[in-house]
Amino acid sequence: MPKLKARIRRKLKKKREPRLIEIYETRFIETLKEFRIPLMMLHTAITVGTIGYMIISGGDFINSFYMTVITIGTIGYGEVVGGSDTLIGRIFTSFLALMGIGVFTTSVTVIVRIFFKEDIINLYRAIKMLREIENLEGHYIICGYDKTSAWLASTLKKRKIEFVVVESNPQALKYLQEHNIKYFITEEPYKRSVLLSAGIKNARGMIVNLGEDTKNIAVIVTARLIKPSREDFYIYSFASTDGTAEKLEELGANKAFIPSKLLATRVAAYIFHTGSAFISDLFDRIAFGEETDIDILELHVEPGSPLIGKKLKDIDLRRALKVTIIAIRKPDGYLDVTVSGETVIEEEDTLIIFGQPRNLKKAQKILLEETYRILG
Amino acid sequence: MALTTNISFITSPNPYELVITVATNLAATILKIGEGRVLSTEMLASSLVADLHLIPALFLFFSGDPKEAIGLAQGALAANIISVIISIIETILSAFTEEE
Repeated sequence: MPKLKARIRRKLKKKREPRLIEIYETRFIETLKEFRIPLMMLHTAITVGTIGYMIISGGDFINSFYMTVITIGTIGYGEVVGGSDTLIGRIFTSFLALMGIGVFTTSVTVIVRIFFKEDIINLYRAIKMLREIENLEGHYIICGYDKTSAWLASTLKKRKIEFVVVESNPQALKYLQEHNIKYFITEEPYKRSVLLSAGIKNARGMIVNLGEDTKNIAVIVTARLIKPSREDFYIYSFASTDGTAEKLEELGANKAFIPSKLLATRVAAYIFHTGSAFISDLFDRIAFGEETDIDILELHVEPGSPLIGKKLKDIDLRRALKVTIIAIRKPDGYLDVTVSGETVIEEEDTLIIFGQPRNLKKAQKILLEETYRILG
Repeated sequence: MALTTNISFITSPNPYELVITVATNLAATILKIGEGRVLSTEMLASSLVADLHLIPALFLFFSGDPKEAIGLAQGALAANIISVIISIIETILSAFTEEE
């Protein structure tokens, strides 16, 4: 018996850290508590009135209830119940009216006020959002919402990539709603419970844009503690200097960007290619995802793939799938840009394929399916 | 509160009794709103069930069918007993967790 008790106690002692959604739900339930007093007042008034009239009228419940309601609710049709036009009845009615009307109107006012107070509605929306976020997979988390994040959000939306915004400043709430952000959490992103509730375990990656290096570091470290693998979970961060960028990358960011430097290099690209309007930023636009007609796909040829040993003209992607292989990167890093129909695909090559995004998607699916079909 | 409503149940057939029973049951339900304890949702649910039995019982009783009303009241009695059991369980559970 003592062993059993000790086991039960140990099991109950294992305190789980509360999930964010549970904290919100408890808060919500506690706000509901405020409804109790007005409801109780209303209930008491109606009960006293009903029973009083039942005594006066000798047991007629329905009419007593009705009389109570029309008196307390200031409707006052008249004396609809048995004995109420007697002296006692009228004394009771006066008493009920004086006490009850005040109770009624204040209860109704308080109930409506509680219901429309910002907190309850926002809490409810937040809980609903957190539940929906739990079903997200392969999404990105954006920490910090400013103009840059807003642009990022609209770009991701165009490519139909889901994301969750984590921004602790409640003033930003306005902008989040204006820009129609579907999922957002108004908490500090460096907290583990917040990241967990943003679905970090199922997410593909995170963008860290909190404005201050120290905050960015806190978030990156917390995130890497949960998702240590750089290939499974991509973290992109902003940094203020080169040194910080290096540090962030060492701490776990896949890539750290210095905003001013990034802008400058992009403008420089225009300068380097002045004179040719289309080409000058073609590759930029492709890389930055702004070109909707063309995209680039990198397809790695795994060992054992059916593509090995085939000549390019044998697979004939150009006619069949409407995409073009413009280059092949060899395993030693050499980029062969003089590919032709006669070029033979070798193991561990990476094919660089140009084409329209949807044709590329099709090509990727078909080439991968071929591999699985033959291997499996 | 559930206990007091139970007792008033057992002497049910008098019309005044019924009204008082309904009133105390409703009061019990109102007081259960917004509790954040372990089994609070179950308690609120059983309370609501009792109310939903008693309110039709009230109307049936006074529009002519006392037998049916008593039947419904017995159903509500069951719900109230469950309510009491749940609140006892919750007290035990919270004593356990408070020990930590």
